[in-house]
Amino acid sequence: MGKILVCDDEQEILDITQLILEDSGHDVTAIINSNEVVSHIENQQPDILLIDLWMPGLSGDQVITQLRTNINIINLPIIVISASKDGRAVAFAAGADDFLEKPYDMDALLIMVAKHLETHRQI
Amino acid sequence: MEEFLRRLPHTGQTDIRLFAAAVSASNNGVVITDHTQPDEPIIYCNKAFETMTGYTNKEIIGHNCRFLQDGDAGQEARHILREAIGKGEHCSVEIRNYKKGGRLFWNELTISPVKDQDGMVTNFIGIQNDITRRKEAEEALIVERDNLEERVLERTEDLKESEAYLASIIETVRESLVVLDRDMQVLSVNEHFCRFFKSVEKDIKGKVLFEHNNGQWNLPELKNLLINVLPNNNPFEGFEIENEFPKIGRKLLVLNARQVILKGKYQDRILLAIEDITERREIEQRKEDFISIASHEMKTPLTSIKGNLQLLQRKAQQNNDTQYLSGFETAVKSVARLERLIYDLLDVSKIQAGRVAFSFTTFQLDRLINEAVSGIQATTNTHTIKVTGSANIEVTADFGRLEQVLLNLLSNAVKYSPDGKDVTLHMSILPDYVKISITDKGVGIHERDHKRIFERFYRTDQISEKFPGVGIGLYVSNEIIKEHKGTLWVDSKEGEGAIFSFTIPINH
Repeated sequence: MGKILVCDDEQEILDITQLILEDSGHDVTAIINSNEVVSHIENQQPDILLIDLWMPGLSGDQVITQLRTNINIINLPIIVISASKDGRAVAFAAGADDFLEKPYDMDALLIMVAKHLETHRQI
Repeated sequence: MEEFLRRLPHTGQTDIRLFAAAVSASNNGVVITDHTQPDEPIIYCNKAFETMTGYTNKEIIGHNCRFLQDGDAGQEARHILREAIGKGEHCSVEIRNYKKGGRLFWNELTISPVKDQDGMVTNFIGIQNDITRRKEAEEALIVERDNLEERVLERTEDLKESEAYLASIIETVRESLVVLDRDMQVLSVNEHFCRFFKSVEKDIKGKVLFEHNNGQWNLPELKNLLINVLPNNNPFEGFEIENEFPKIGRKLLVLNARQVILKGKYQDRILLAIEDITERREIEQRKEDFISIASHEMKTPLTSIKGNLQLLQRKAQQNNDTQYLSGFETAVKSVARLERLIYDLLDVSKIQAGRVAFSFTTFQLDRLINEAVSGIQATTNTHTIKVTGSANIEVTADFGRLEQVLLNLLSNAVKYSPDGKDVTLHMSILPDYVKISITDKGVGIHERDHKRIFERFYRTDQISEKFPGVGIGLYVSNEIIKEHKGTLWVDSKEGEGAIFSFTIPINH
């Protein structure tokens, strides 16, 4: 089980994502304001970040770009969860590790998270 | 005639005889009439008169000159002659006469009275000259002149008409038009130009385009393009400029320019056409924005519904709450259908707006097939999907989009074969292409619909009665396959199942 940070500007998405992950035993923090993501990661050092793309304030890809230039958190697994198919290319270009399209499938989310946690632990 | 000469009195003065000989040899026709006798009979005619009229001397002497009229008596010249003879005066006329045999000739006739010592008229001398050729030439000239005038009038009328025709086109088009000379001076602008740019023709006419109205056209790129139109016959099309115009604000314009060709020759003129696409671009942008907003707005609640449903379903399974399980199953299926519908509708809008983004990657085709087949197999326990043949190759394609096509074709195969049990997906390698065929044993498609089923919102009559749907899947699939430079088609007979096949190029 891992320490997971979820960021989305929609409360209902945050709620259900948190519920699903917690139900599988993960420790989840949900943040609605993307501007707080970087400092939270610096302070709390989660095992994985799940982040939306198009949000007011910093967009998901802007957050990822910042994280990828920070030497301390350069290896953090990041999964982008976006409603836009076109978001896939944006996400990978910014440095995301994986992409999940909304509305996502519960099992697909859990499998993807588990896979990246596993890989991260091996590193 | 010799006889007549001989009868002239020998006066010892030989000049009269000489004169007579001269008259006889003259090229002009000469007749002398006797005015003292009734009806003015001819008493002399020379050889030239015989030649001119075609009559012989004996057919002439004794007749009145009228015999040359041949019934054409109403002429004005005839009255003039009669009057002059009556008054014993000199006169000259051009008169229509007729040769022996009836051929018309124009006779330039001069008559002079001869008087005795008492002043009484004894004879008339008539000098004739055949002026037919001159007359004909004159008449031809008149006809020619009349024709010419008529033709000039016609041409002028034609020109006026075609000018008015062209002018009406130029003034009616909803595009601004400017004609420039080699120095980029404005020669003319159409009404739309004046209306659109809120300017008056006389203010811009004669001005260098780049200097007009505080240099609003002084754009280096445009200048460069325009300057090259004439020297290199280098027309340009679809050049977009976005610029702040003093009177009308920020506008997005598309410009075309070409050298003017007149009568097949290039002229030192440039025709510049300006189309305002500000609004069109805004609408496109709004449509695009709508698509992405709608997409986002619809997917957010759907994500919540789907996640919560799946979570509740799992809870029900864990607690073995059998009374709710089937309800959750139905709800999950409905959500999946709603999800596909939203995707399809968004895809249609995107395709129509030309805004489908494809991201091509290289992957094993087998992986795609397996994912799609297991995805559909999971949704049905009535049908078995068999995969035959093996591609074992890499393709460069949009994984998600091709998966969408496969899911669409496979779910159609299941949906439209309620009584069939088997759906087969067959892969085969062709030169340069891989072909994937999906065969079902379903209701089939009448041949007349083989093309139309790929049209947007088209559903065959027999299908729409029995099966729900909106008719987008095949349209979207076809567009996706086209984007991959492949083709999608169907082989089917009504009631005998269907084979949907598509090809995509193989990497080399």
